[in-house]
Amino acid sequence: MAIPVLIVDDSAMSRKMMSRALPAGMDYEITEAANGEEALSAWHAGKGDIILLDLTMPVMDGYTTLEKIKTESLDAFVIVVSADIQPKAKERVKKLGAVAFMKKPIDKKALATVLKKYAPLQ
Amino acid sequence: MPHVPYNPKLLSAIVDRINVGVFVVDRDMHVLVWNYFMESHSGRPAEKVVGHDLFEAFPELPKKWLERKIRSVFILRNFAFTSWEHRPYLFRFRHNRPITGGADYMHQSCTFQPILAQNGEVEAVCVSIFDVTDTSMYHNRLQATLAELREMSFCDELTGLFNRRHIEHHLQREFHRFKRYGSALSLLMFDVDEFKAINDIHGHLVGDEILREVAKRAQSCVRGTDFVGRYGGEEFVVVLTNTRCKGAMVLAERIRVAIGSTPVECDQAKVPVTVSVGVAEAEAAAMQRHEALIQCADTALYESKRAGKNCVTIYDEHPNAANG
Amino acid sequence: MNSTATNLVETYQFDDDEQDALREVVNIAMGRAGASLAQILDTFVRLSVPFVHIAGVTEVSGAIGDMLGQETNVIAVRQAFYNSLRGEAIIIFDRKGSRALAGLMGYDKRTDGYIEQEVLLDVSNVLVGACLGGIADQFDMQLSYYAPAIMFEGGSVDDLLKEDRVPWTHALLLEIEFEVEGSGINCHMVILTPEESIGLIREQLHTILESI
Repeated sequence: MAIPVLIVDDSAMSRKMMSRALPAGMDYEITEAANGEEALSAWHAGKGDIILLDLTMPVMDGYTTLEKIKTESLDAFVIVVSADIQPKAKERVKKLGAVAFMKKPIDKKALATVLKKYAPLQ
Repeated sequence: MPHVPYNPKLLSAIVDRINVGVFVVDRDMHVLVWNYFMESHSGRPAEKVVGHDLFEAFPELPKKWLERKIRSVFILRNFAFTSWEHRPYLFRFRHNRPITGGADYMHQSCTFQPILAQNGEVEAVCVSIFDVTDTSMYHNRLQATLAELREMSFCDELTGLFNRRHIEHHLQREFHRFKRYGSALSLLMFDVDEFKAINDIHGHLVGDEILREVAKRAQSCVRGTDFVGRYGGEEFVVVLTNTRCKGAMVLAERIRVAIGSTPVECDQAKVPVTVSVGVAEAEAAAMQRHEALIQCADTALYESKRAGKNCVTIYDEHPNAANG
Repeated sequence: MNSTATNLVETYQFDDDEQDALREVVNIAMGRAGASLAQILDTFVRLSVPFVHIAGVTEVSGAIGDMLGQETNVIAVRQAFYNSLRGEAIIIFDRKGSRALAGLMGYDKRTDGYIEQEVLLDVSNVLVGACLGGIADQFDMQLSYYAPAIMFEGGSVDDLLKEDRVPWTHALLLEIEFEVEGSGINCHMVILTPEESIGLIREQLHTILESI
């Protein structure tokens, strides 16, 4: 059964890198979004069991997107993948309910470790 | 990292004798390298400094600031710089002008370079001290010359009117002529009402714009032979030769109205502006020097302020008599 | 700008993939710069989406003029870099916020003009070193830096770039904005590299794009 993964980033290259970083051996149904608005639509359509989310985006940034998602669903599995690595960014993101805060460029091994927390995979 | 293995002896010789101060500290602020420039200018040989805490060896250094500066290089792995323009010197070294002089100590600009270990961490910071005394002296001389030039000019930069120095000069000459030939001479002094409040509310840029506009409006009222100048921050004068009190009064009123009738339009606001005016005529008997004329106009100006501003007062020796 | 010059700039433009890749590289480098700044100020720094563009001389001076011209109360700092890439960074601070910066950096309350300048030079140096350092790291390049200097303090924009006397026809222009949250401290950084460096950057971008 393909796992719906939603990748949110305004950079096409970055979205590509994130989907390449997903651990092998698993079936994924990947949906891409270029900003928070698109992400929310895709998520409402059920495409985001796992969400990889960038912070610095136009239209609606990562913090706002994360907040909106978490307000509607406490269970949402959101991994923030960010170029902005200041400690307060990490704090904020964790407070808003992200499962993990990863820095860019995304590290395959680190992602695999985080995904171990995703229950349906265990 | 140099790709070509340099001869360490050669490098060592260069660093030691280069005409730049070079010293290196580790994370504990202990000195690891102290080159010849540092030795000869500080009077402290390397054996006495290397291995010691920099600040213990040189208690005159601004420890709080300098330590923070060096630590930021360790933490951020970034170059850092200081300029003589903000800190004339770090170390009190004697400069290279024992005969010609001109500065108290050597002026210094410094570079702080991170030295990376194999693992990418900063293991030491190399500080280079450049003697920039000559540069700073040329710079200071240039600034002084510019200041002198500014003083020598006749005009106020902001408004284009004559500046105070020139006003005094001109008035002195005219007063002298008045004393000698008995021609009439009057002085107008006016001042923007509530200027401080305007600056506080609208900011200095609007304040400047207002002064410029006031100057323009005043100038548009005067005749060719009259002399308009900016006497102080928001104070202006008009020197009126061959003019008696009555004539001066007419002009004063004209200026008051020209300035006060329409607000000044600036980018951000339309500001209503008024001026208080003092008028005084030169009197041979009562006034010995031109300063007396200024004093009287000033007193009249003060009366206008007291009377509620935006009005004209003529100086009267007997203040209880009616004023125009 | 005459039409031949315009055409020349057109031919040097990055394509969509290259632009995207460069923006990401700058994004990551900015993240580093923001983190460095946040560390020394112990605050949160808001980062803008970077603007990346190859521009002719008129456009560059126009872009700088826009950033400087709107606020009359600004100070600009200039810092040059060299080695693998050559160029200059211009960092523009809003004056009102910059006084608060001194406080955040632990200078005492008496902020005279010189302290204010020194603080801005320090902050600029941190931002330039981190941002360009971040770009250099991702591109596997080496960069060295000159000392920062106050370039402009409420004077005339025309003095900055003498359009007829610059030795380049087009340059890579990166525009980034940093804001220290809640303090009104805000600065724009413009990084400029002339055409000779653009080719090298393009090569590096392709290396990155091909490796995905």
